[in-house]
Amino acid sequence: MRIETLLFKEVVILPELFLGISLVYLVLHCTFLSIKKNYPLIQNSILYLGVLVLFLSCFLVLNDGLEVLEQSVLNDTIVNDYVSFSSKLVIGSLSLFCLLMIQPYITSQKINQFEYILLILFAVLGLFLLCSSNDLLTAYLAIELQSLAFYVLASFKRNSTYSVDAGIKYFILGAFSSSLFLFGSSLLYGVTGTINFEEFKDLFVNVFPGSYDTISTEISLFDFSLVQFGLVFILISLLFKLAIAPFHTWAPDVYEGSPSASTFFFAVVPKLAIFVLLLRIFYYSFFGFFESWRYFIVVIVVLSIIVGSFGGLEQRKLKSLLVYSSISHMGYALIAFSAGTLESIQMLLCYLIVYSFSGLCVWSIFILTRLKNNHLQKQNKDLTDLVLLGKSNYMLAIFFTTVLFSVAGFPPMIGFLVKISVFLTAVESSMFFVVLISILCSVIGTFYYIRLIKILYFEKVLVGKLYYPIQAQSSVLISFLFFLFLFLFINPTLLYLFSYKISLLVSMSI
Amino acid sequence: MLYIKNILSFILVLPLIGAIVLSFIPASNKSLLRSIALNCSCLTFVLSLFLWVFFNKSVGTFQFAENFFWIPILNLNFSIGVDGISLFFILLTTLLIPICLLASWDSIQVDLKKYLIAFLVMEFFLIGVFCVLDLLFFYIFFESVLIPMFLIIGIWGSRERKIRAAYFFFLYTLLGSVLMLLSILYIYYQVGTTDYEVLLTFSFSPLEQKIMWFAFFASFATKVPMVPVHLWLPEAHVEAPTAGSVILAGVLLKLGTYGFIRFSFPLFPEACFYFAPFVYAMSVVGIVYTSFTAIRQSDFKRIIAYTSVAHMNLVMVGLFSFNVIGLEGAILQSLSHGFVASALFLIIGVVYDRHHTRMVKYYGGLVHTMPIYVFIFLFFTMSNIGLPGTGSFVGEFLILTGSFKANTTVTFLSATGMIIGGCYSLWLFNRIAYGNLKTQYFKNYLDINKREFLIFFPLLLGTLVMGIYPNIFLNSIHFSTNMLVEFMYF
Repeated sequence: MRIETLLFKEVVILPELFLGISLVYLVLHCTFLSIKKNYPLIQNSILYLGVLVLFLSCFLVLNDGLEVLEQSVLNDTIVNDYVSFSSKLVIGSLSLFCLLMIQPYITSQKINQFEYILLILFAVLGLFLLCSSNDLLTAYLAIELQSLAFYVLASFKRNSTYSVDAGIKYFILGAFSSSLFLFGSSLLYGVTGTINFEEFKDLFVNVFPGSYDTISTEISLFDFSLVQFGLVFILISLLFKLAIAPFHTWAPDVYEGSPSASTFFFAVVPKLAIFVLLLRIFYYSFFGFFESWRYFIVVIVVLSIIVGSFGGLEQRKLKSLLVYSSISHMGYALIAFSAGTLESIQMLLCYLIVYSFSGLCVWSIFILTRLKNNHLQKQNKDLTDLVLLGKSNYMLAIFFTTVLFSVAGFPPMIGFLVKISVFLTAVESSMFFVVLISILCSVIGTFYYIRLIKILYFEKVLVGKLYYPIQAQSSVLISFLFFLFLFLFINPTLLYLFSYKISLLVSMSI
Repeated sequence: MLYIKNILSFILVLPLIGAIVLSFIPASNKSLLRSIALNCSCLTFVLSLFLWVFFNKSVGTFQFAENFFWIPILNLNFSIGVDGISLFFILLTTLLIPICLLASWDSIQVDLKKYLIAFLVMEFFLIGVFCVLDLLFFYIFFESVLIPMFLIIGIWGSRERKIRAAYFFFLYTLLGSVLMLLSILYIYYQVGTTDYEVLLTFSFSPLEQKIMWFAFFASFATKVPMVPVHLWLPEAHVEAPTAGSVILAGVLLKLGTYGFIRFSFPLFPEACFYFAPFVYAMSVVGIVYTSFTAIRQSDFKRIIAYTSVAHMNLVMVGLFSFNVIGLEGAILQSLSHGFVASALFLIIGVVYDRHHTRMVKYYGGLVHTMPIYVFIFLFFTMSNIGLPGTGSFVGEFLILTGSFKANTTVTFLSATGMIIGGCYSLWLFNRIAYGNLKTQYFKNYLDINKREFLIFFPLLLGTLVMGIYPNIFLNSIHFSTNMLVEFMYF
């Protein structure tokens, strides 16, 4: 290990370091404050401290990005390039929004332990490290950091059976999938003797898609089938984390049982980071084995889209509906992932960024509409609870409609544009039947979004659940997101250029 | 006139500006809301008349063309322009929107602000569909029309069945058009752009043409609608408010035929010839079947809805005759159907506003109490049949002449549709207007007022002008259709 990289002279992981150190400080501060002041309610102040810390680390990321060169530190285990810079930026801003949006929720639900905010920040730290990890072990540790935070977040409502149940389910299945990741990594290490992505790339530089069979007989340095075996394990473990069918069965239960703020967080934020890791492993290091995992992915895409579209039809709760919607959306993202071209990475990143932001909008609306006269403080909203939203909060309903049409991939919204970009990449690599199936399933998926719109506007009822008005701070954020949506459709070039620049780096081995 | 070359983009965004202005006005100030919406749509209509005045009739190319960058790195840009085919569809849209707003002047009281905004936004989308010269943007506008129409049917529809009708409308159309989206993506992948004028220079292989023609057909045939996929139309018409039906019959159905003329014909000419018998068969079945179905309906609106299916299928026969006469007839018949069907739905709206029922059996002998109303009803019934002197006659005559050149049997079979059309129209008129007044059902009768007369007057005048001197329309259409037919054959 080179010592000088740890000095401030050229610290390339300054945002992570800052976040980690301030987290340690926050833990100490909160603990001593609580003990000294006899356990006061410090939730709100800690939340704003957390927002400040996140904002500053986002600023540091941005500051780093001004002179982005590909730098790797700590014995090449962590790399700082445009991919990690931009994904950290997106993840940081998403988590900022999340923290600000859940503030009314945790106040009203009396989640008073300060650990809640700290756990979210720990998860963000894990995601930051995941984005910039450059070898399998670092990636594993980063995944574990964020997953452990998520397990605790899921079971945070200790007095609710559902929450504890969700936490334990999440923990068992998450640990299982992590062990699959470790198993795959050990296979790869056993075959090649390295765990570094850069070295993997150099090792397999002669392997091209479709050609590894012939090469393996000539060189026979490695057992390629073992490499493929390890890759499949890693792939399955990461798909577990993304809740893609057929590895999705934990997701509806866990999302339904966890406190809504936690669900909000782990439904929206981590997808991008895991996809960045997928891109690093499967496009950067092991692109030569593209053909061997491609058909696997294609099957998963079709399954996931079908499960997501048809599974959502019978859901009566908003949270489960969103779970199935996210399953089908991850399927669309994987279409681009399985196309294997430069454009496909670009469109994948576009899709993920837009998906994350629309998920942010939907979940914010879900969390901000707090029911009045609700003695049990129940948050698990049925779809029919929204029946008066169109009358009581007209602007919010319009925003919700816009976002739903965007999520459904309906023109003229940004969701439509990124969705057809994804389909375009699939057409370019001649996957016509996959596109045909997914485009027909997307019509079926549209049905449950327009059912929500029907509930918002078409029912002529005068009795229904009422909502508390939304705080000024949240309204400002919501309207900001609304204008972001409109702007992105009118001028999407920015988004495409941004993701193009990211894709250039990942695709160096294509 | 310095600004005349930018007039098209101004017409396009004016309704949107109106909708944005409306959104800032409090919902309680209903008269201000109504007057702003009406003035905005009237201004749009007047400006679109300028489009007609300054339209150069002696060329068939796109005029008032403008280009805007959208995503230059993907070579996707926004370009608009007007030729003889799309000019009158734009005029039809801009004429019908103020009429719709006037028609729902008193009948819409709940959520008025949303209603007006929905109509103006829909006008924006419809003008966009007709003037855009980019395949992807055509799709975007074509689909976007669904959103305001879905809301109009769902929110301001009359009965509980409206939700089902709204779903029908939305999902049928969406299912058809995603296939078109797929082939648009394929075209973009093959050509590298979706710009219409560039696409015209590209020719696809016969197999590609057939597959993509079918994908486009799935979308446009649902909109026209052709027979197996026409089920959404009666549902949507019956449940929609009067103004919604007017726009649906007047403009939305024309999106299908317009799509055929604009995209299917020049992009896939060989596939068009290949599939022409198929389209003939479906259209003839549609004409005869829906005409017979119209006879046995008991709902006033349903009868007119089935009539429009029959007439639009006749338009399809005219289109697929592939000669200038048939094409011009098809465009003229589309226009005249836009006038006549809209007027018939407005006629239903008049009695529905007064008595709140659309069942034919409750009406009778209206000629005794509502003479002006019955006169207008008679006029439009006659033009629905295709009486000489009305626009429908000219349209139908041209269509049948054109298709006679192409296929005599089809002409014969589709002409039977006109006879059956005479049956249901005259019988309907007979039941409503003549006989005894059914005072056991309704006690009070009231003839149409000044506002309602003002609604009917431009439609009446337009139908007459189109029937007596159709050349003022055909002049502008002629060169574009001529170019299209030449392009298809060579």
